[in-house]
Amino acid sequence: MNKVEIFDPAMCCSTGVCGPSVDPELTRVASAVYSLEKKGFNITRYQLTNDPDKFAKNKEIHRILMEKGPDALPVVLVNDQVVKVGSYPANEEFAEWFEVKAEELNEKPKSGLSINLNQL
Amino acid sequence: MYPSFSPNHVQTQFLFLTGKGGVGKTSTACATAVALADSGKKVLLISTDPASNLQDVFGIELTSIPRAVPTVANLYVSNIDPEASAKAYRESVIGPYRDIFPEVVVATMEEQLSGACTVEIAAFDEFTGFLTNREIGNLYDHIIFDTAPTGHTLRLLQLPMAWNGFLEESTHGASCLGPLSGLVDKKELYSSAVAALSDLTKTTLILVTRPDVSAILEADRASKELKEIGIKNQMLIINGLLQHYNEEDEVSSAFYHRQRDALKQIPETLKETTMYSLPYVSYSLTGVENLRNLFKLYDEVPTTDVYMENQSMNLPGLKEVINDFSGNQTKLIFTMGKGGVGKTTVASAIAVGLVEKGHRVHLTTTDPAAHLDYQFQSDHLNQNLTISSINPKVEVEKYKAEVLAKSSENLDEAGFAYLKEDLESPCTEEIAVFQAFAEVVAKSENEIVVIDTAPTGHTLLLLDASESYSKEIERSTGNVPESAKKLLPQIRNPKETAVAIVTLAEATPVLEASRLQDDLRRASINPQWWVINQSLSATNTNDHILKGKAMAEKEWIQEVKDNKAEKCAIIPWLYEEKVGYDKLKDYIK
Repeated sequence: MNKVEIFDPAMCCSTGVCGPSVDPELTRVASAVYSLEKKGFNITRYQLTNDPDKFAKNKEIHRILMEKGPDALPVVLVNDQVVKVGSYPANEEFAEWFEVKAEELNEKPKSGLSINLNQL
Repeated sequence: MYPSFSPNHVQTQFLFLTGKGGVGKTSTACATAVALADSGKKVLLISTDPASNLQDVFGIELTSIPRAVPTVANLYVSNIDPEASAKAYRESVIGPYRDIFPEVVVATMEEQLSGACTVEIAAFDEFTGFLTNREIGNLYDHIIFDTAPTGHTLRLLQLPMAWNGFLEESTHGASCLGPLSGLVDKKELYSSAVAALSDLTKTTLILVTRPDVSAILEADRASKELKEIGIKNQMLIINGLLQHYNEEDEVSSAFYHRQRDALKQIPETLKETTMYSLPYVSYSLTGVENLRNLFKLYDEVPTTDVYMENQSMNLPGLKEVINDFSGNQTKLIFTMGKGGVGKTTVASAIAVGLVEKGHRVHLTTTDPAAHLDYQFQSDHLNQNLTISSINPKVEVEKYKAEVLAKSSENLDEAGFAYLKEDLESPCTEEIAVFQAFAEVVAKSENEIVVIDTAPTGHTLLLLDASESYSKEIERSTGNVPESAKKLLPQIRNPKETAVAIVTLAEATPVLEASRLQDDLRRASINPQWWVINQSLSATNTNDHILKGKAMAEKEWIQEVKDNKAEKCAIIPWLYEEKVGYDKLKDYIK
């Protein structure tokens, strides 16, 4: 089975909702990754500020960061080989790597725990 | 009408004070703590006062570990600095990688952890320890916090999405909670902290305000928001209420009447809260004895200080600021400061001053439109002056609707709720307003644009980052609008753009203004002017109480002049409200 790793940029507000521009691309990728994880595929995302160690210890990623700076992110590795620099895979690419249908990748994530003030 | 606040009114173990910067939260908290301790209760005062003038108040070095105050039996004080906690957190994450990654990479990590939300969450994290630790709880009769968590923080922590680890999967790429990973481990702790906050028998929320319209409205907003989230045990303290006035002194009687008029505008919703007042005092609340005097309701204390004659600090007025802008052919002028310091009035007066010098000026304000009409009584407008207004609420709603439409199709209900709360972040409003005034600037030609607000450094750096980001990634569909992109280099150019920081000559406003300046400098923008507004020391009042206050201003004027401002101007407290084009000209006489 293929192993896919996505190395995301630092993403506080710079690309997200409270940022200057919203990128629906991110929601698409999140849904695709979620669907694949649920199906048991080997796919992982690392985020620069949350998992800096992963970026530092991976020689390829470290080299790209040293040469091209933060704008090179996201970087995608398939079986430790760099396949994408500066953009996320399309759903078709995910489908090809894991041999699934692209349409299966739109599943909406579900959530669990909550604190409910009124019940406390 | 408003009974005096007395520490006997405190019934619960936990006490949180909230209110706009500069209303006197820390002083009220200190005075209450001293009074309760004097009455034999064991009290812990937890301050988040970053000015750390508490050290001077109590005469001891303070840290986050509670220390006994030698001059007040039963009183323990701890000082926490959420900015410092957030900074320490940031450094713990980034520090190890400074030598491993290139500087630009480290910079993007730092910016992710530099938003207002990181500080808010860090503060809540600090409170939690005190609220939930039984050992600490058993030690004290009362624990007093001189600040309170915001509704935004509390709502975020209540949402299911905060807790299920889904965060790490970067649902929509951003989150106010995102910067604090490892949050999940603290679910139990946070949950019991939130429970203690909403327990009427355990926690009282004290809303502190001044008899001043903008502070009152802020208290009302906080009251509603926190009530909705379950913090219902609230009381209101009107701090700094002038008890009587000197009829022969113009400043004194105008000051008194303006306060009384402001009180008439207390919203009905807020009137349902129990209301108390504390007197306007001439002395500064910096020693234990003076803190005790506050509850004895002395508005003056015998002092050995001989009133120095009002020696001038040789600061120019607003006229000088306008001459400077006019001479330098500045194209874009921002007035910046926290709410209530008079940014809009100063911006309006600058606009009028420039028109009087023969320039064509466009003034745009983020104050509600009604106020602008009021300010100019529009029929008397000069033909070289045009005005427009940006309603932050409308802009934010527009922006939110756009985001939700773009991103919601992939989200389930919980994800959607989470996204919506993220959009309540203070950053959202800034971005939305920035985009709106970028539009105004883009449309203007051959005129000076004056704006009564300015973007923060955080916003500018983010816009910068996202611009290079979207350049690199062609696939990225999120776009910074063209007008915002064009505005960025213009704002950075000191030949075209000037920022004037507006403040008051008091501790908290100066400190807050100084933070705004540091934040802007981070984005390589240097405010050219500081304008000290509503200064009593620049008036000729002979009223004893106000004169005392005027003396206290000097320290802060000196501080601004010597340590903060490149160039500094001062505007006296005006006993007449300047409404209309012709009246605004009085500022530049």
